[in-house]
Amino acid sequence: MLDSWRLRRNLGLGLAVLLLMLVVIAPFYWIFSSSVKAPQEIIAQVPTLFPQSFTLQHYDNLLQSSAFPTYLVNSAIVAVLTMIITIVLSSLAAYGLYRMRFPGSDFLFRIILITYAFPGILLLVPLYEMLSSIGLIDTRWALVIVNVTFAAPFAVWMLQAFFRSVPYELEEAAALDGASRLRIMVRIMLPLTAPGIASIAIYAFITSWTEYMFASILIISDANRTVPVGLAGIIGQYQVDWGLLLAGATVTTLPVLLLFGLVGRNFVDGLTAGAVK
Amino acid sequence: MRSPASRLGFLLLIVVLVVAGIGPVAAQDPVEVMIWHMEQPTYRVERLQELIDEFNAANPGIVVSQEPQNWGEIYTKAPAAVAAGNAPEILFAIPDFTPIIRAVGAVQPVEDFVAQMDEAHTFFPAALESYSYDEHVWAVPMWNMAQSLWYRKSVFEAAGIEPPTTWDEWLAAAEALTTDGQYGIGLPANRNLYTDQTTYDFMINAGASEIYNEDGTLRFDNPATVAAYDFYKQLYQYSPADSSSWAWGEAEACFASRTCAMVLQFTVISTYETQAEGDAEDLGVIAIPHSDAVEESGTISYVNAAMILTDDPAKQEAAYAFLSFLLEPENYGRFLNMEPGLYLPVTEDGSTAESYWQDPTVVKYQSQIETMLENSRNGMLFGFTGGHTFPTIAQISAQNLLAQTLQSVVIEGVDPAEAVAAGQEAMIEAIE
Amino acid sequence: MDSTGATRRARTGQRRAASLRQSLSRNWLGYLLVAPLMLWLAGTILYPLISAIRISFLDVGIIGTGGSFVGFENYSKILNSDKFWSALGRSLLWVVSNSVIQTVVAFATALILKQRFRGQGLARVWVILSWIVPTVVVVIIWRWLLGTSGGIVNYALVALGIVSEPVGFFGSGTGAYATVVLINSWRWFPLMAVILLAGMQGIPEDLYEAASVDGASAGMRFRHITFPSLQPVLFVMGLVGTLWSFNVFDVIWLFTRGGPSSATTTVPVFIYDTAFNSYRLSRSAAASVIVGVILLIFAALFIRFMMPPDEKEA
Repeated sequence: MLDSWRLRRNLGLGLAVLLLMLVVIAPFYWIFSSSVKAPQEIIAQVPTLFPQSFTLQHYDNLLQSSAFPTYLVNSAIVAVLTMIITIVLSSLAAYGLYRMRFPGSDFLFRIILITYAFPGILLLVPLYEMLSSIGLIDTRWALVIVNVTFAAPFAVWMLQAFFRSVPYELEEAAALDGASRLRIMVRIMLPLTAPGIASIAIYAFITSWTEYMFASILIISDANRTVPVGLAGIIGQYQVDWGLLLAGATVTTLPVLLLFGLVGRNFVDGLTAGAVK
Repeated sequence: MRSPASRLGFLLLIVVLVVAGIGPVAAQDPVEVMIWHMEQPTYRVERLQELIDEFNAANPGIVVSQEPQNWGEIYTKAPAAVAAGNAPEILFAIPDFTPIIRAVGAVQPVEDFVAQMDEAHTFFPAALESYSYDEHVWAVPMWNMAQSLWYRKSVFEAAGIEPPTTWDEWLAAAEALTTDGQYGIGLPANRNLYTDQTTYDFMINAGASEIYNEDGTLRFDNPATVAAYDFYKQLYQYSPADSSSWAWGEAEACFASRTCAMVLQFTVISTYETQAEGDAEDLGVIAIPHSDAVEESGTISYVNAAMILTDDPAKQEAAYAFLSFLLEPENYGRFLNMEPGLYLPVTEDGSTAESYWQDPTVVKYQSQIETMLENSRNGMLFGFTGGHTFPTIAQISAQNLLAQTLQSVVIEGVDPAEAVAAGQEAMIEAIE
Repeated sequence: MDSTGATRRARTGQRRAASLRQSLSRNWLGYLLVAPLMLWLAGTILYPLISAIRISFLDVGIIGTGGSFVGFENYSKILNSDKFWSALGRSLLWVVSNSVIQTVVAFATALILKQRFRGQGLARVWVILSWIVPTVVVVIIWRWLLGTSGGIVNYALVALGIVSEPVGFFGSGTGAYATVVLINSWRWFPLMAVILLAGMQGIPEDLYEAASVDGASAGMRFRHITFPSLQPVLFVMGLVGTLWSFNVFDVIWLFTRGGPSSATTTVPVFIYDTAFNSYRLSRSAAASVIVGVILLIFAALFIRFMMPPDEKEA
């Protein structure tokens, strides 16, 4: 009886996982596999589950005739800078908010979360004017500034559980030993909250990597474009070259996929370790 | 035809002007000219870059560079850039984009330069019409585009259909061509420029080409317009279910994959050549069929032009020098052929230029391109017809009100007369 | 006696002063630590916000042109505009349908990933896939999958006999709306699932064991243990998720530009359209200020009534 129960449970679980794979992974398989098909096979009326032809011509087109490698580098630079600044700003704030518990800290935390109430579109025009007046239009810094704004508030919340879970005794013991605040932060809090920091690092990276609207307006020259905007340019309006688009989608996805394959565990496990509260 | 000597003389004059104007500065600091255009496909960018490189090499005092932009964002980005002082020196435009940039106060009148170019190359009269108003010419015409009806001769033959010239024949053809796996026609019903264009094609061919009365009031709401929308709806039933999300590319792809038997398009040549069979003999193109209300077929046509956005005389001269370099017959054909078979010449000597006709793709599809050129002679553009220009059309087309009205007819099923009346209301509100 | 009492009093006083000093310095440091982020947000949100409020009282048309003071005219125009109210209605439906779908799917996903099975570790990585790709890629993927010619979804539907001819997913107003909601949910549910999963991992195992011993069913365990324990997570996800989803713009814009026939024109699309296609920058600023106020009221009410008790006292 127990066996049949276990069998049913396993079967159900297996089906559920399979369904999840179909929803999440299948679309990507379809993109990747179609990107190596010959143009005629791509637009054929009867789709082929496995490529019947194999060609790298779309990748050739993509990498040789457009500045795609430049877009990738730009996106990576912007994402890494966004990540670093987000880590610094939000872990300082999280320490202040969750460890110091000064008067008004709850209120400040709410203010930080509520910044999401204002549509990005609302901020677009004034931000453009502001960035333009300090000469940052068409620079990667403009994007970093905007991306940090959208990543940091949520990152502060993600850190909450980590900072709360560190026992106060540890800090107090260190303080009794005469360690300075800074020393406590670097020596005790940082290692103990490292998984959380890893999580927000990945979060900030992804937020930046996927940003489209501001990048499309704040960046003027091809040399500074990020991947989403460059890809939108390839989509074009005059012609739909599916091969090129699918190759572009693949090349855009693969680097983050690889990165996520390497550090993705940290994102999930990191959040789990802090057991978000 | 102008004599080569006078052309050379003109060029020399420009060089002298440029050198005189910027001479002392040029010694240390070349004049920089930035071009923004919306011809984003990479091969177009590359072709323009070739020409830019040649020009820069021949003109040491000037450095021209380009930044391709996207139509989707340029309406936001260009005014913002002008306001913030980041505007380019040259911005390519379509007629209804110019009034917007003018409102920001950046567009320079160019009638003197245009007159010189006209002297040298002779613009087709229609080319200047849509940029001439408020006592000035606001942009330098660079090329023309006009829509035609594209099909495969073999598909028509197999179905026993003659190329249609009237609406009745057209509807019958679309019906007969709708078979398993094939739609009779691909017609967009999206809220975008492409749908504005195809809708206007129907309006022209129903005798509703005028949106304005002579006094500038709107006359969109009239029986001919209603007839155009009504017929669009009848044809639309033979169009694929997702054509309400189409832009130009999807229509071309539909034609290339043989899913659509006919499409209304500026050109399908390069897609047909690269993604479909590329058989020049089989590719058919004709003028858009017309209703009984008009004598002959007309089409929408767009003159694309270059606006000058700098008031610095040295930069203006440098920009003029580059534009006149592009309009030189030996360069002009190469410039137009950045997308062979799409850009049609706007000057007389350009339309016979060897550089235009000797491109391999143009050679291959010569008969189709000749038909396109011929169709373009009956070209019109909403808001720029009948010898009058009403810049408020910019607001109407920026909101895609022709297309929006079409959507309420073909998607929501609103009665065409009602939808057109509502469309006129929306237009009045837009230009208020 | 007397002296010891005095000493004690003196000592308590000293201690109080010391702890006050300490707490002052603690507070001072706390503010200092939060300051960089607050300043950053002030510069990138507060300042633009003030500037937008200023614009909303002028009559600026095209971005980059000037305008003169017109008082509340833009506000009265917006409040009297049918288009604005129907956009607001669509946005409410958007937020509700997105959060229902995402919450259900994310919960289901989190519960699946919480089970032990081979490949569980890997599954926790790939499940996030749809969230890590740019919106533009999401658009390419779904355009490609849902097309009527060569699109795999339509092909499968026809082949399975579910429909007789390819469906235009963006062909009708309701179809387009539902499709964009589903695609947006597809994009965002993994993040929520992973955060829920993390929250579930924090629930002590012995709670479940005790409940099992007491004979509680799986459903009861979920209702009485899992769900209540997740309150704090659900609170923040509910608040931030609602605000995020209300402000979604790029997916809708890239797919439908608000169409067909404004069926997908939610408030952000309306604001963008008013500013950049109708060239009424001031009016669009007024609309955003109104919406900002509505969202702030929502956030205040949400915090007031939905904040879990332990969060309040903390």
